[in-house]
Amino acid sequence: MSDLFYEEEALGKAYDTRLLVLLWRYVSPYRWQVAVTLLMVLPIFLVELAPAWIIKTGLDHAFQPVQTGEDLSAAASWVFDPPLGLSTLAWLAFLYLLVALIGMGLQFAHMVLMAVTGQSAMRDVRRAVFDKIQELHLGFFDGYPVGRLVTRATNDVENVAEMFTAGVVALISDVFKMVGFAVVLFYINPKLALATFAAIPFLAVAAVIFRLKVREAFRAVRVRIARINAHIQETISGMKVVQLFTREARNMREFDRMNADHRDAWNQSIRYDALLFAVVETVSGVTIAVIIWVGTGLVEAGVLYQFIDYMRRFLRPLQDLSAKYSVMQSSMASSERIFQLLHTDIAIEDPDWGAELPAPVQRLGSVEFEGVWFAYQGEDWVLRDLSFKVEPGQRVAFVGATGAGKTTVINLLSRFYEVTRGRVLVDGVDVRNIPQGELRARVATVLQDVFLFSGTVSDNILLGREDIGSAEVERAARAVRAHEFIERLPQGYETELRERGSNLSAGQRQLLSFARALAHDAEILVLDEATSSIDSETEAMIQQGIHALMQGRTAIAIAHRLSTIRDVDRIYVLHHGELVESGSHEELIALGGSYRRLYSLQAELELAQVEAPAG
Amino acid sequence: MGRPVSAAPVLSAAETGDSPVRHALRRLSVYLRRNSIYYSFWALITLAYVAAFVAFPMLVGWSIAGAMDPELPSEDLQMRFLALLAVAVARGLLRFFSRMLVFTAAREVEYEMRNDLFAHLQRLPQSFYFDWRTGDLMSRCVNDLNAVRLMLGPGLLSIVQTPVLFLGVLAAMFVLDPVLATLVLLPYPLFIVIARVFGTALYSRSLAVQVGLADLSNRVQEVVSGISVVKAYSMEKEQASRFQETNEELYRRALRLVLINGAMPTITGLLPAVAMWVVLIVGGSSISKGEMGVAEFFTFAMYIWDLTFPTFIMGWVVALVQRGSAAMQRIDEVLSVEPSIRDHSELESVESLRGEIEFRGLSFRYHADDFEPALKDLHLRVPAGSSLGVVGGVGSGKTTLASVIPRLYEVEDGQVFLDGFDINRLPLKILRSSISMVPQDSFLFSTRLADNIAYGLPEDAPAEQVREAAEMAQLAKDIHELPEGFETLVGERGVMLSGGQRQRAALARALALRPSILILDDTLSAVDAETEAAIQSGLEEVFEGRTVVVVASRVSTVRDCDQIVVLEEGRIAEIGGHEELVAAGGLYSRLASEQAAAERRRQIESDLGGSRESGEGGQAS
Repeated sequence: MSDLFYEEEALGKAYDTRLLVLLWRYVSPYRWQVAVTLLMVLPIFLVELAPAWIIKTGLDHAFQPVQTGEDLSAAASWVFDPPLGLSTLAWLAFLYLLVALIGMGLQFAHMVLMAVTGQSAMRDVRRAVFDKIQELHLGFFDGYPVGRLVTRATNDVENVAEMFTAGVVALISDVFKMVGFAVVLFYINPKLALATFAAIPFLAVAAVIFRLKVREAFRAVRVRIARINAHIQETISGMKVVQLFTREARNMREFDRMNADHRDAWNQSIRYDALLFAVVETVSGVTIAVIIWVGTGLVEAGVLYQFIDYMRRFLRPLQDLSAKYSVMQSSMASSERIFQLLHTDIAIEDPDWGAELPAPVQRLGSVEFEGVWFAYQGEDWVLRDLSFKVEPGQRVAFVGATGAGKTTVINLLSRFYEVTRGRVLVDGVDVRNIPQGELRARVATVLQDVFLFSGTVSDNILLGREDIGSAEVERAARAVRAHEFIERLPQGYETELRERGSNLSAGQRQLLSFARALAHDAEILVLDEATSSIDSETEAMIQQGIHALMQGRTAIAIAHRLSTIRDVDRIYVLHHGELVESGSHEELIALGGSYRRLYSLQAELELAQVEAPAG
Repeated sequence: MGRPVSAAPVLSAAETGDSPVRHALRRLSVYLRRNSIYYSFWALITLAYVAAFVAFPMLVGWSIAGAMDPELPSEDLQMRFLALLAVAVARGLLRFFSRMLVFTAAREVEYEMRNDLFAHLQRLPQSFYFDWRTGDLMSRCVNDLNAVRLMLGPGLLSIVQTPVLFLGVLAAMFVLDPVLATLVLLPYPLFIVIARVFGTALYSRSLAVQVGLADLSNRVQEVVSGISVVKAYSMEKEQASRFQETNEELYRRALRLVLINGAMPTITGLLPAVAMWVVLIVGGSSISKGEMGVAEFFTFAMYIWDLTFPTFIMGWVVALVQRGSAAMQRIDEVLSVEPSIRDHSELESVESLRGEIEFRGLSFRYHADDFEPALKDLHLRVPAGSSLGVVGGVGSGKTTLASVIPRLYEVEDGQVFLDGFDINRLPLKILRSSISMVPQDSFLFSTRLADNIAYGLPEDAPAEQVREAAEMAQLAKDIHELPEGFETLVGERGVMLSGGQRQRAALARALALRPSILILDDTLSAVDAETEAAIQSGLEEVFEGRTVVVVASRVSTVRDCDQIVVLEEGRIAEIGGHEELVAAGGLYSRLASEQAAAERRRQIESDLGGSRESGEGGQAS
């Protein structure tokens, strides 16, 4: 959580060309829509000019009590000549309505086009983020909290899309219109235009000060809201502990402090925002006074009307400057974070020469480690020069203390991590040369950490494989003794499992994971037997299931259960990442080493077990 | 900070018989009333602002008329201009205060509501968190709260101010020219029709978008949490297509919303255009007939201009309000969940507990009729200061049994007693602070290790207590190896620590409290046997004088307990001491012998490596 506090701190720019370039990649598939959106600004601008022009024509010529017909035709263009014998007033009224309708249509089309483009790009970015998440190697997730990744795919993506719609496009169209109105006003009457824009320097100064102040305020707001949301998320996750330790009151005090800090930061920015609004409104009012003061006598009433109208339209984009600024700033921060994620090195990549792979005929299920060295970081070797070969259909077990490197063997075989030195071969092919999807379809893994997806029990066994029938699901569940408890659930295999799996115990989850592996029927089975959660009663019960699981395929077990060890073809004893003893059960007995001692103990215990119920 | 934390007003829809929206808005009104001071000032400012707003076009007309009148003395003209300037400045100033007040009030409500949500979440029991997904709750606390704040800020500002503006303008126009005024304002009531038609669609469509967004969050959350399974079973393609489905659905919903969101302001934007059109026709012909001056034309035009922006904004505001009330409804849903575990109306006055636990016919099921009961008719008495071991098969109800004692789950009255009191009648605070439980999942907070161990201690507790607890849990020597010792940040859910370290930290956290009742729920499963033995021997001292409940998969963990129960499918299958149960030759003795085998095998396993260094001389057992 702590670095979540600070992740927002460094980000505060409202624009960054580098990010715009990156954004372009997602917008460029829609470049025609973008081009049209931008081009539409011109007709929209023209339609905005028209109403005042029509009214000006009316005021200066048509409405005068004393008609001066020749003046009208000289001063106004042919557009304002009424056709079909209409009165000038009727014609102007018609034009006015026409322009209003066209303007409405254009506005709507512009809005929709912009939104569709934004939404499409948003959908694509979300997809890219999700794909990236799935591509990243497992090690990445150790350092990246779940909640933060969820934020990337949801809120951050929304913000980025806003940068496009409310940001870039709006900015371009605002600037275009402001320049346009200014040019037109200077064209109509430079002297009056000069007076009109006399207040602009004040506005510019206000805007600059505003920008500086509001940047700080917005940054503070975002840092604080990130802190609050992280705190809520963590509290929800750890609610049981919060309640057990009656920490509610103190937690509430801490939360209240964060929450109040956030509110205070907002109040700062509200002040600046309201100030900007007030300044724009005051400038607008004062400028109208100036236009009338300077303008009467200098120009006709219609021109006054035009000046006031265009002047207001010129100022309008400035009013919601603060909203736009805030949107841009958070968009930039969001896109920075998204692009950081999208550019993370995925570390484990598929070979791009998949076509040259050996034909699938060779999928027998042999596994070989050739002088494998591995360290999660630096020179902390977890495996040292490990070599072994498992023939197709052979069942082997790894034995060793915690930290001996047993789990790492599995991680390397499924290529969750990359070997540091040496090679891991499946059916004689380096795993780095097998597409990950294919490799993992050939290696079914039962992990200690059982994760259940939302969906039914049967969904959780199938895990998306559509070629497995319900009969096979049930057969697998029966073999690992999961069938009994599944049947007892209200809707059997169709029972919905909840996020926190309240309806299943830890042991039941493990049985489910066995059923998973069995149903998937891969050539190679990897079993990381759980040391905990399953009581010995259940352990005995699933033993048969494990045998069923290992039957007829290459099986590699990190074994904790006696019967699993006894029945395998070969046993590897690991210590500090090195192979210290290996061989078949008989060979190791003959060797008279550690394994022999294990075996004799086992015999002794089995004797005890036979006696116990009797005694 | 200064404001006391306010409890969420508990209003249930059933009681008031309201529709969900109405119920939500009723709750919202409570927050508004609480901040009535802001709103009363705002009302005054709004009236003043409306006066300035209405006066300005009048003064514009007056000034123009003056400027066009060559006979007007120049002092009079100057006075008119000064009045115009003064009103322009006043209008800006009032606008500042108006926005300030209403936005600040919105932030205040947001602040209070967020506090209330948080406080409420802390009161809700575990059963709530089984049914509600984290992503969904977060979305309500973040996105929905934001939508409510927007409704109360720009939304409320516009919805209250705009009608008053219209009334003011209407009055002013009537004074000038009743006929033209009537004609000009004629199109505006159409707004209400438009708002009604679009409002309904906006509401349902924005709700659909919110739901879509929550679904998407859940998809991502699930895949990230289960990433190792996703990879191991090559589920990427399947997950990607499921995600894409959700993604496309959200896209479609967003587009539907956008269409209507865009149509609304466009159509409302047409109203001022029509009004201006009326002024053009009627005003134009009046001017040509000499019945109306150009100045008056300007005043009317100015009124329509000034109304354009508020009207346009209203279109957007309708969307805000729709979205906001949909969001308020979602927040209200959470706030309306009655905490099913809370202090009883008739509390026993108890200051502390000795720790005698008794179950009298305890039955428990997680969901009303859905599932098999987890516990069935349990009778058991644990005298204060004694220890109880609980063993049993997978899903036999061990964890449930442990969890009902601190009231993590709802139990019926008359089934669980502490010191002879029904636990439902004990003050929750006394109950839980007398009990210290180490839950199975050993959740840690992302703070410093020391903070985690001191989690249940008062803020001013001496550091010594933390150190002692860490020592008892055999965590002390690990702490020396951590980069910053007690100050180490343990990361989200304690990712910086190993599984065993996490469990011991959770144990230390419980031990630091020195409670009357200590409950260990399969606490040491990820701790190796040697460390467990060390912890066990250290615990003997801790157990002294406390009631201890030990839930375990390993028989070795409970063998020294005064009383051991074996659970089978939620019932007590066997009960007695270790020797007694072994002699009985039932389930327990079977568990015991199997366990012993596993234990000794593990012992050898960890000696295996040792045998290499110390040669063959290393003894196995």
